[in-house]
Amino acid sequence: MFSKSTVIIIGLIVLAAVSVTVISVSGKRGHSSCGFGAAIFFVAPFQDGATRSVRFVRDIWNHYFSLVSAAKTTDDLRKQLSHSVEKVNRCNEIELSNFRLRNLLNFSDNTNERVLAAQVIAKDASPWFMSVIVDKGMAEGVARGMPVVIPKGIAGLVTDISQHYSKVMLIIDRNSGVDALVQRTRARGIVKGKSDGCFFQYVLRKHDIIEGDTIVSSGLDGIFPKGIRVGRVSDVSRSNSDIFQEVIVTPYVDFEKLEEVLVILDLPGHPRTYDTFVGEQ
Amino acid sequence: MPSFLLGDVSYDFLVPLILYVGIYRPVREGVVVALVTGFVMDNLSAGPFGVYGAAYIWMFVASKWMTTFLQMRRNRFLLSFAVALGVLLENLIFLGAFAVSGAGFGIPGDAVRVVGGQTLWGMGTGVFLILLINYAHEKWDGWFRARLSKES
Repeated sequence: MFSKSTVIIIGLIVLAAVSVTVISVSGKRGHSSCGFGAAIFFVAPFQDGATRSVRFVRDIWNHYFSLVSAAKTTDDLRKQLSHSVEKVNRCNEIELSNFRLRNLLNFSDNTNERVLAAQVIAKDASPWFMSVIVDKGMAEGVARGMPVVIPKGIAGLVTDISQHYSKVMLIIDRNSGVDALVQRTRARGIVKGKSDGCFFQYVLRKHDIIEGDTIVSSGLDGIFPKGIRVGRVSDVSRSNSDIFQEVIVTPYVDFEKLEEVLVILDLPGHPRTYDTFVGEQ
Repeated sequence: MPSFLLGDVSYDFLVPLILYVGIYRPVREGVVVALVTGFVMDNLSAGPFGVYGAAYIWMFVASKWMTTFLQMRRNRFLLSFAVALGVLLENLIFLGAFAVSGAGFGIPGDAVRVVGGQTLWGMGTGVFLILLINYAHEKWDGWFRARLSKES
């Protein structure tokens, strides 16, 4: 009835329509996963292993250059030097890790909510979507919708979980939104991600906002606790034709260097609705 | 991806895999590989669900179409070109997803730098990944057939 080329063309048109429809529907509804954490359950252990292997090889590579420079001295001095360099590097890593963990501990001690420390083991493959995988999941008490923070500020939100791993959408992702306010003037708005920073949207022109103002979470979205830092205002512009200001916010969190995070286990304004779980403090 | 920290010009390493199944393997295998890897990546990514699946399916369709008029299997230059086009197509689909998903803000300001860097990187290194996958698959096929014939 139809020629082969006609069938192919119709098939391609249907495929294009299905692609656009699926992406449009899932994007507008904020669905970034489907499968109850099955993909994370199977893939995250490999990501964890690969990250550890790469870090191990990177350390050995750095030590190799030190050994090469030390090869000009005697063999004994070269061995002693290589051992010392390895020890110093390990001590440096431990010191830096200690500093980060102390900050996390101080932060968790000073908050009223229960928190769970987690390590970032993978990041999103695409530079356009901002998410990370952390090594804590349902077994440790993590649930969807839990906020993720570090002492510097809000990092993101848990969007998908498996038994021992979770996916965290960062606040710089375009689908992210944090109900926030200006710490100084209490002007309220929504912090929306834009891949390399954030916009502070829906802030009326009448509100006083200047560069350098601190943006904190308002707690009104029922997700992020009130008063946690989000970012610093880096640019404000008001156009005569718009009722809102254009505010650009630089997050306090350096997402390029994110290694450890804290998952807040108690959602603000809501009593704990889940039963006891493994890892509960 | 694991925390390789290679920056935002590191392209998706599954693109060479999808192109490999599109160029070297039958349609049945290619569709399954594209759908499964797309499903896995969609679940690992913060992007709208279906964007990776759509990107991989279209990449597979495009690579299959290209094989109808180009002899790509033995031509390394064409394979490099195919990887570059695959990376470019994937990024175009991702950026197009911003428009249809309602995320707003238009195309990011550094899109040209990032897409250009990924495309060049893909053109330079993708062909080696495809050849590596092909070599590994041929070795696996040979070993598996030898095993089967020994048992039978």
